[in-house]
Amino acid sequence: MAKIRVEGLKKSFGSNHVLKGIDMQVEEGEVVCVIGPSGSGKSTFLRCLNRLEDITAGKVYVHDQNINDPSIDINKARENVGMVFQHFNLFPHFNVLKNITFAPVELGKQNASEARASALKLLERVDLSDKAEAFPSQLSGGQKQRVAIARALAMNPDIMLFDEPTSALDPEMVGEVLGVMKYLASEGMTMIIVTHEMGFAREVADRVIFMDGGYIVEEGPPEKVFGSPEHERTISFLEKVL
Amino acid sequence: MKSFRVLYAFLSLLILIAAGIPYGTASAAAEPASGKVYQIGTDVTFAPFEFQDASGNFVGIDMDLLDAIAKDQNFQYEIKPLGFNAAVQALEARQVDGVIAGMSITDERKQKFDFSDPYFKSGVVMAIREDQESIKGYEDLKGKKVAVKTGTEGYSFAESISAEHGFTIVPFDDSAQMYDDVKTGNSVACFDDFPVLAYGVKQNNGLKIVTDMEPGASYGFAVSKGQNQELLQKFNAGLVNLRASGEFDRIQEKYVGENAPSPANQSRMGLVIESLPYLLKGLGKTLLLTIVSLFFAFFIGLIFGFMKVGRNKWLRGIATVFVDIFRGIPLLVLAFFIYFGIPQAFGFTMSPLVAAVLTLSLNAGAYVTEIIRGGIQSIDPGQLEAARSLGLPYRKAMMKIIIPQAIKIMIPTFINQMVITLKDTSILSVIGMVELTQSGKIIIARTFSSFDIWLTVAIMYLIVITILTKFADRLERKVRHG
Repeated sequence: MAKIRVEGLKKSFGSNHVLKGIDMQVEEGEVVCVIGPSGSGKSTFLRCLNRLEDITAGKVYVHDQNINDPSIDINKARENVGMVFQHFNLFPHFNVLKNITFAPVELGKQNASEARASALKLLERVDLSDKAEAFPSQLSGGQKQRVAIARALAMNPDIMLFDEPTSALDPEMVGEVLGVMKYLASEGMTMIIVTHEMGFAREVADRVIFMDGGYIVEEGPPEKVFGSPEHERTISFLEKVL
Repeated sequence: MKSFRVLYAFLSLLILIAAGIPYGTASAAAEPASGKVYQIGTDVTFAPFEFQDASGNFVGIDMDLLDAIAKDQNFQYEIKPLGFNAAVQALEARQVDGVIAGMSITDERKQKFDFSDPYFKSGVVMAIREDQESIKGYEDLKGKKVAVKTGTEGYSFAESISAEHGFTIVPFDDSAQMYDDVKTGNSVACFDDFPVLAYGVKQNNGLKIVTDMEPGASYGFAVSKGQNQELLQKFNAGLVNLRASGEFDRIQEKYVGENAPSPANQSRMGLVIESLPYLLKGLGKTLLLTIVSLFFAFFIGLIFGFMKVGRNKWLRGIATVFVDIFRGIPLLVLAFFIYFGIPQAFGFTMSPLVAAVLTLSLNAGAYVTEIIRGGIQSIDPGQLEAARSLGLPYRKAMMKIIIPQAIKIMIPTFINQMVITLKDTSILSVIGMVELTQSGKIIIARTFSSFDIWLTVAIMYLIVITILTKFADRLERKVRHG
């Protein structure tokens, strides 16, 4: 059974048609990397998967639930879908520990001491045990993004969405974040990653999706999309970035 | 919604409190007469007819006369010292039952009011600066400016001869300001009723009278046309009795006779010290008004601020209209509209305190709405997205993630609004709020010492606002650093 199923998804901002008809699905444990030029609709597509954007047409099923159905509890649905943002979006008025424990405690998933214990474990996993009491402003970009990943994992989701997680980082910090993501992938997490890191996509993805102009132009295993792309637009894009 | 219920409860509480507070320093008749307590509007600064003595009691010919008549006729009343124009408007709006304020009986006023029998024969005279010699009559006024008080006989008279003698009229709201304008030399002369000017001259207001009295109208006690006829009859009956008993002459003699008191030889410092308790009382009222109004403004701002950043376009529209209206109306106009306009249109009375709080709350509420909207919208939308992506409901995300960050940004502008609202309370003196500015005006009406009293008042505002700003700075630092 597919974890995510998208049928005929369209999204417009006024007269600007960003997504013009997307059909795809993601299986359990699959790692999907979405690549493509700026403005191709990659990020918008990702944001439609947890209803950060309301869609214009089509259907989005997550765990076989139509998330745009007004009768469903979207907050409940989002608990199972973690998201990591390009600009981290850590809560600046909370320290690292509180950033991670806030949602599970506030939503009654865990009590304060349980949440603290699992937060410390998560921090260990992202190699930031010594920063538990630090505030976001005291962290480097790479550290912030690793805290953001830990924060998303604290709700114990089974799908993770990554929206250009390394684009705002200095080059020397990209590796540490990708490292954490690789580890997650190896644990069998279902992941959809919008990225410009072609090397990472080639290495980690089970499937690569190339988007352009609001459509999925080409998709397949990384060796096929990167090694022998079929579509002309894929070829010209890859020529520019590789 | 919970916050609406809380707001409603507080509003009701405030109205109850306001209704229970007897307004101003009223001197009600002592006899426990049956029936209603008449609300009588009067001027605040019209010595010797009405003014406040050093201990803050309303005294003067009108006050003593009304008191004597009330005792004679056994009715109860309460004085509303609104200022002349406001008192007349309040009578029209039926916010008060009668007005006694050295009010001349004119044909124009008879259209709207019923007058008692005349109790004082008056007329207009001209006064100039004590040390002036060049102005001897109306013909010397050509090309000059002349100060008058709006709505008075002096004003009508000045208007009637201004074309003929070629002078310009400078209107003021009270006598003290009018005298000051002549004293400082902006205007060369002023016109006012003889007893008023004569009393002022006697109190060393720095002027002298240079013309004979123009035969003018007499003063009468007024009620709204067709209203409160029994009060008018009691006034007339009492007046007849007082004249017969000689009490009436004694009252007049007390203020404008040969033996009327002239000011104690008081030092300038002595006057300021003597005035301090009264000014401090006014300052108390200013602070009370500020705090209560800001409290409501904050609630109003929270509600409309959230409507403005919310997702419902109808609520957003309502909030936008609210802000546009109350930011777009000058505070003075809003105060007049709420205190005089609304009660007149709907036929009820509103206490000045309720009107004042309503005016300031709505005005400041509009600004607080914008402060809250701006504060919330200045937070990166990514914060809300991150919170929502974790499964937090909108309300929780706003209250725990967005608002705490927004408050830090809002604090400096909030403090600014507090300072503005505190200063704005002075405008409410126009509807008879005896706050700090009005207290100063009242003292000057008696003593004519503008410089010393306005300086004292200014310093008092400065001290309070400086303390407020310093406190705010510390609060801001504390919030910023955790």
